[in-house]
Amino acid sequence: MSSMFTIFALAACLGAIAVVISQSIARMAFWLIVSLGSVAGLFFLSDADFIGAAQLLIYVGGTLVLLVFGIMLTASGPYMKIETSPAETMIAGMIGLLFLFMVFSTISGVDWEGSRQQIVEATGQPSGTVGFDDNSEGNTLRPLGFAVLGLRPDRDLASGQNTSPGYLLPFEIASVHLLVVLIGASYLARAKRRRDVA
Amino acid sequence: MVGETLRNYLMIAWLLPLAGFVVEIFFGFYSKNPRHSKAAAWCAVGCIGAGFLCSCAALVTWGNANDWCALEHHDSHGEHADAGHETAGHEHGEHAAGDHHVAEPAHNAAAAGEDHGHEHAVAAASGDAADHDDHASGSQQTTYSGVLYTLGKFGSLELSLDYYIDSLTLVMFTMVTLIATCIHLFAMGYMSEELTDEYVDHQAHTSDGKHVHRPGRFYRFFAFLSLFCFAMLGLVLAGNIFQVFIFWELVGICSFLLIGFYTERKSASNAANKAFIMNRVGDFGFLIGLMVLWTFFGTFRFGDTTNAEGVVAEQGLFSMVHRDEATGNFLTEPITGDVLITDNHGHALQQDGQNRSIPYYLLVVAGLGVFAGCVGKSAQFPLQTWLPDAMEGPTPVSALVHSATMVAAGVYLTGRFFPMFVQEVLLTIAYIGCITLFVAATIAVVATDIKKVLAYSTISQLGYMMLGLGVFGWGAGLFHLITHAFFKSLMFLCSGSVIHGCHHEQEMPKMGGLLKKMPITAITMLVGVCAIAGFPMLFGLHFSGFHSKDAIVASALAFMKANPSHFLLFFIPLLTAGITAFYMFRLWFYTFWGTPRDHHVHEHAHESPWIMTVPLLILAPLAWLCAYGGESGPLYLMLTGDAPSHLANGVAAATEGGLVMPGHEAVHAVHIQAGLLALAAAFSGALIAYILYGTNLVNVEQMKNQLSGIHGFLANKWHFDDLYDALFMKPAHKVAAFCAWFDKTVFDSILHGSAKLVVLVSQWDRIFDEKVVDGFVNLLGTSTQSVGRSFKVVQTGRLRQYVMFIVLGVVALFAVVFTTFPG
Amino acid sequence: MQPSLSNYLLVGAVLFVCGVICMATKRNGIGVLMGVELVLNGANINFVAFSKFTALGLDGQVFSLFVIVLAAAEAAVALAIALNFYNNHLTIDVDRGNKLKG
Repeated sequence: MSSMFTIFALAACLGAIAVVISQSIARMAFWLIVSLGSVAGLFFLSDADFIGAAQLLIYVGGTLVLLVFGIMLTASGPYMKIETSPAETMIAGMIGLLFLFMVFSTISGVDWEGSRQQIVEATGQPSGTVGFDDNSEGNTLRPLGFAVLGLRPDRDLASGQNTSPGYLLPFEIASVHLLVVLIGASYLARAKRRRDVA
Repeated sequence: MVGETLRNYLMIAWLLPLAGFVVEIFFGFYSKNPRHSKAAAWCAVGCIGAGFLCSCAALVTWGNANDWCALEHHDSHGEHADAGHETAGHEHGEHAAGDHHVAEPAHNAAAAGEDHGHEHAVAAASGDAADHDDHASGSQQTTYSGVLYTLGKFGSLELSLDYYIDSLTLVMFTMVTLIATCIHLFAMGYMSEELTDEYVDHQAHTSDGKHVHRPGRFYRFFAFLSLFCFAMLGLVLAGNIFQVFIFWELVGICSFLLIGFYTERKSASNAANKAFIMNRVGDFGFLIGLMVLWTFFGTFRFGDTTNAEGVVAEQGLFSMVHRDEATGNFLTEPITGDVLITDNHGHALQQDGQNRSIPYYLLVVAGLGVFAGCVGKSAQFPLQTWLPDAMEGPTPVSALVHSATMVAAGVYLTGRFFPMFVQEVLLTIAYIGCITLFVAATIAVVATDIKKVLAYSTISQLGYMMLGLGVFGWGAGLFHLITHAFFKSLMFLCSGSVIHGCHHEQEMPKMGGLLKKMPITAITMLVGVCAIAGFPMLFGLHFSGFHSKDAIVASALAFMKANPSHFLLFFIPLLTAGITAFYMFRLWFYTFWGTPRDHHVHEHAHESPWIMTVPLLILAPLAWLCAYGGESGPLYLMLTGDAPSHLANGVAAATEGGLVMPGHEAVHAVHIQAGLLALAAAFSGALIAYILYGTNLVNVEQMKNQLSGIHGFLANKWHFDDLYDALFMKPAHKVAAFCAWFDKTVFDSILHGSAKLVVLVSQWDRIFDEKVVDGFVNLLGTSTQSVGRSFKVVQTGRLRQYVMFIVLGVVALFAVVFTTFPG
Repeated sequence: MQPSLSNYLLVGAVLFVCGVICMATKRNGIGVLMGVELVLNGANINFVAFSKFTALGLDGQVFSLFVIVLAAAEAAVALAIALNFYNNHLTIDVDRGNKLKG
């Protein structure tokens, strides 16, 4: 399993780096597909089957196709390149490396196991239950469905009482949000006469 | 009530001219044809004429009320009076002792006089017996006083308009109204040139050298005359000295208006100012006197006021000082010498257990103060210089001012206030009168302007009156006032007639030989000249001036005999009597006698119209005969009917070597002697005048050149004007110049300095405002702006840079957090 | 050996930083959108990792699900904006849209 993780992680990271490096927007799109697909693999590896599937479906299958359509609609020429000045690239790279270093140092500086113990003690959660039930490993479709419907069997069963609110309301908001975005996007993108013909 | 009747008569006579004034000044202006109408003049004449009739009626009423006892007065006084009278009678050579029983009050209008002659004789005869007793007790009331209108009350003190009516008031009223009527009539003719829309004033020039053209001011002249008469009558009727002061000032302002009537002439307006200002000098003293009296006596009234029961309610000034019956001096505090303030019976009034009294010296101050006012008004030395300049007014004004009104006011007040004067004040009065009469007479000798001669003679005669009052000849002084009023008004009107006839030529050297051209004027003038010179009999009747001047000279002689050290008070008037005769005859000879000197003037000369000669013909007999009977005649007796009681017996010396005032007896003793001396002086004066000017024996011009020194001195009026110029004008100018300089240099520089300081401060303040306050605010603004401008650079509008900033911000935030909370 | 939480986080950090650099350097508007997608994925990885390794449990997955949904919505709107931008400026270069310059 660790080898799979290594492959997917490297693919994701390299894909992302390739997105940054590549100058052609079409290539960027390609490398982005690689990177996001690898991320989906990482989701699968971390027992998030539904999320991984959603990633593949929505991102790779929806969003990226949308982006490719955008590229097609806005491309001025077959090999259109909009160069960034080298100095800008250098400064951005320096700042990015600095940021990366800082995040890395932060992540590696944290005692994750110790802090998990502290959280468990503070919240009174049973220390034994970390993550999901091994039996239902990877099968998160049903719990997620319950969660978005307002039921939290994992939490409620563990603590023995129905206290968690679930995600019914955020789910509804998200659906309405999507509707609004759909209307808004179609409104924004509709064909209209240009103001400055020149 | 006799008092009320008298009051009403005199009130009418007094207020009619005021009504006339109002009508003339307003309706005169608004009437249809104000510049051509004589209506104003007729109104004025009507008012003053009616006033004269009322005065006569009042006089008769008064006489009837006390059975003409005033005319008996002299007779019933005891043996000394009888003796004196007999000697006077012998001297006059025509009067028996009892003649005055049938003597009419000839100075009245004929109407009043004739009607009452018989009546009076009867009344006198029936009252004769009772008279003797009455006089001893003084129960016969001849003085009426009371309140007309209360002006204001201050605690127990009261200011009011009062009336005080005694024989002096009545005689003055009659005299003033009669003379004023004549003058009004005369003025109607004299001022007729003003009856035009465009009067050309030949003596006033505009800046471009042309004559001044102006509308005629006929109605205004008569309005002023009426106001003048109103003021003078109010002054005579006044029952308190404050009221006198009010009308005193009113007389002053009227004289100012009339003297400056030809206001376009520089000399006229100057003369008006001079008269007014000189009078203010005297009035200053008057005010001081008033303050002293008010402070110590608490009243201004002359007489007592009585309530309905006839009991004395409030005392007047005259009853608050009493004289010792034996010596005639004021009752005094034995130790301090202060004069006691007493009740009606001579007992000292008490206040806080002490006798009320006034320090003797303050009584002197009060007397001198009141007299100072009289000096100004009557043009006495040293304030005499305004009067000759007042000749700038029209001639009728001069006549009115010089006879009946203005100058008479001063003498009248001195006479009215006589009971309050102490010996020292009287001596001052006498000496001032003495100096005045001599100075003025000498100047008159060399004056050539016909009106100026008369003006100086007026001053001189006023000096006589003052002298007479001062040497205790109360009756003599006032007697002369009345007689002088008649003959001086006559002479002024004559001179006015001459001036009118000669077309405003006033210089005597250009006249001469006018007797044939203007006979009426010349003859009437001669009557006046004889009267003032003091000539005796014409057709058996003495001229009025003879009687009155005799009386004064006699009083002076008696005074000199009582006080030998004051011999000048007799000899100077005696000498001046000669000078008076000289200059008056000089005037007459110069003007009417001899050959014409200026043919142009002579050819155009003509007799004046009837309206101007009629007043002359009325006044001439009065000037001649008004003093009929002399000191036993009706005028004198009437006048002295209410004489102050201490006059008769004189006043003994208060201290060792002090002044002694002669009584009637002493005066009568020297009467013949004085009369003869005065007569001799008058005749010699007239004779010299005839020799010099009536014949061609002496070349006058040559004599003038030989005596050029003294002539110049006299012609320059003893250099009084120069003296005042040097004494007062120049220093005043110097002080004014200094004040102006001081003002300009010191005060102005202080002001300018402070102004500059303010400017400096404000400039500094402006700098502070601009630099500091504005600078601070601007700095805030510019710093805010520059900060914004600098931040504007950050706002590049480039999305990618914003992303960079966000990243940098996050990095920085992390760095800060980690460095702040390590671990 | 099983991958630890830190490994996931490191991958997420790399994606995140790459997305940020992509946003900062790409002048193409679509490129910027891609950077945003990378950033969101980096965050998603973190959510899922915490969901697996800590007591967060299913909540992390729910959140990552919402993120995906919102990312899709965002992409749609952003693309519409990009098209509008292209219509107005005849280019997709975001440096041309500097109207906000101070």
